[in-house]
Amino acid sequence: MKAMPAKPDGWRISGLPARGRISWFELVLFAICVAWVALGLAPTLQDVVVLSFLFAGLALAWNIAGGCAGLISFGHAAFFGIGAYASTILSQSCNVTPWLGIFAGAFAAAVAGAVLALICARLKGPFFILSSLAFAEVVRIIALNWSDVTGGAEGLSIPPVPNLANMVLGSKTAYEALMLVYLAAAYVLTRWLEASRLGFYLFAVRDNDEAAAAAGINPLVVRTAAMALSAALTGAGGTLFAQYFLYLDPTYVISPELSFQFALLPAVGGLGTAIGPILGSFLITPLSELLRSNLGNAAAGLHLVIYGFGLIVLMLYFPSGIAGALEKLRQRRPRP
Amino acid sequence: MSALLEVRDVSRTFGATRAVDKVSFAVEPGELLGLIGPNGAGKSTLFNLIAGVMPPSGGKITVDGADVTGWKSHDMARAGVARTFQIPKPYRQLSVIENVMISAFLRERSVVAARELADATLADLALAPYRDRPASELTVGLLKRLEVARALAMRPKLVLFDEIMAGLTPTEVGTMTEIVAGLPSRGITVIWVEHVLYAIMKTATRMVVVNRGRVIAEGAPAAVAREPLVVKAYLGEEMKLA
Repeated sequence: MKAMPAKPDGWRISGLPARGRISWFELVLFAICVAWVALGLAPTLQDVVVLSFLFAGLALAWNIAGGCAGLISFGHAAFFGIGAYASTILSQSCNVTPWLGIFAGAFAAAVAGAVLALICARLKGPFFILSSLAFAEVVRIIALNWSDVTGGAEGLSIPPVPNLANMVLGSKTAYEALMLVYLAAAYVLTRWLEASRLGFYLFAVRDNDEAAAAAGINPLVVRTAAMALSAALTGAGGTLFAQYFLYLDPTYVISPELSFQFALLPAVGGLGTAIGPILGSFLITPLSELLRSNLGNAAAGLHLVIYGFGLIVLMLYFPSGIAGALEKLRQRRPRP
Repeated sequence: MSALLEVRDVSRTFGATRAVDKVSFAVEPGELLGLIGPNGAGKSTLFNLIAGVMPPSGGKITVDGADVTGWKSHDMARAGVARTFQIPKPYRQLSVIENVMISAFLRERSVVAARELADATLADLALAPYRDRPASELTVGLLKRLEVARALAMRPKLVLFDEIMAGLTPTEVGTMTEIVAGLPSRGITVIWVEHVLYAIMKTATRMVVVNRGRVIAEGAPAAVAREPLVVKAYLGEEMKLA
């Protein structure tokens, strides 16, 4: 077989992945992650590792809607916030453990995602993007003003008393393990999805919804399913975030910046692929965290300038993401 | 009623324009109906009304006796009506086999069975050598054949072809004509809109000619070609029967 030249075409999905198949590269990467956590490597970087795992899972969640179904959303922070608030409120007012609350939060986020898709998924391109942004703003304003339940602008805090039953863990290593489980679950779900009938329907609706409809697919139903699934997974990530930071600030957990971050990681890593969002997070999350902690005090905003510049370079030279660049590299190598 | 498809007094207006004006015709199972007419005659609109892309402004459409007026595209597909697009609409980021599998999922729920049906369809259309190519790399001729493959993988009762010959080389026209001509014997009824008249005149069992939104002639290909109204509609252009 000849190597196929990939034409860069905006946010193009890289190559044609072998659907549902896990490569050696991915298994080795996962083994390294497990070993890293098990050996408790680099204790000073544990915060960065926890966030890299968590955001890799969140990037995979976003990718189901944005990468696979073509629903580019800048409102996923709303689902993240709904998940985080739902489990925290259930835990504090109804004494429901976050181990169950995480599912309640995921369900609430899925309902919100389905509603957004049913109302807005008929909008195309930029119009859907804008409506998703507006949707997240509505959710944020509700969270800010419904103070009886959400604590308003003060947010909610979770007592920092380690207790496994309340999903407040005693060590950062334990959090690393928890986030790695979330990442692995999101990854397996993505791999299963892309090899399933539903996954094919998502790709069909993304690439051409008229042709999909002519093949008997109801585009609205498929988009709604994609958004609900993506939102559920994002909501679960929200709960994990709340249990790690033990504090919910509505101006962060439902912020546009966070929504952009969710979209950015898969875009950098490779849209529509399973490994891309993970690579995106493993590259970008440490970069942004380390720049912030090392330069944040030296000159206000300098870390953001460097970060932004780095992103522009990445997007210019790797238009189909890191996964796309790796795929091209692999194909350039002569095969035995 | 034995008609597979019946279109009765169907109209469609766009503002003040009557693109389709009280058109009636019926298609029996096993027919290969050619639908022709000059540019702007309303063929595409009529086609889109039957395929469920838009609802008619008036009239009634039935499939197998069931009223399907106003049904959406995906409902029509499930009712057994497949279509191709005049300008191919492939899933560009998927491979050829995956493009066809998406249609095959209409009848086969499992991925393995859908892949088998898609592979068989690719073999029928001599597309097997391109199986794993991304659809974005195909030439126009191959894309047109992919359109036909996707429609046939749905195992339709009725298939609507929209100018599947446009842009093809003479050899490709020959191959495609053979494929289309073989469909009725496989239990697939065909409505075929075409500009390449010599191909359709040879193959169709019956013709419907539309002009200015109305049916102006109907009957056997050779008879229709002699109709003064038809000749006039094509501005005196002589139709060559190869």
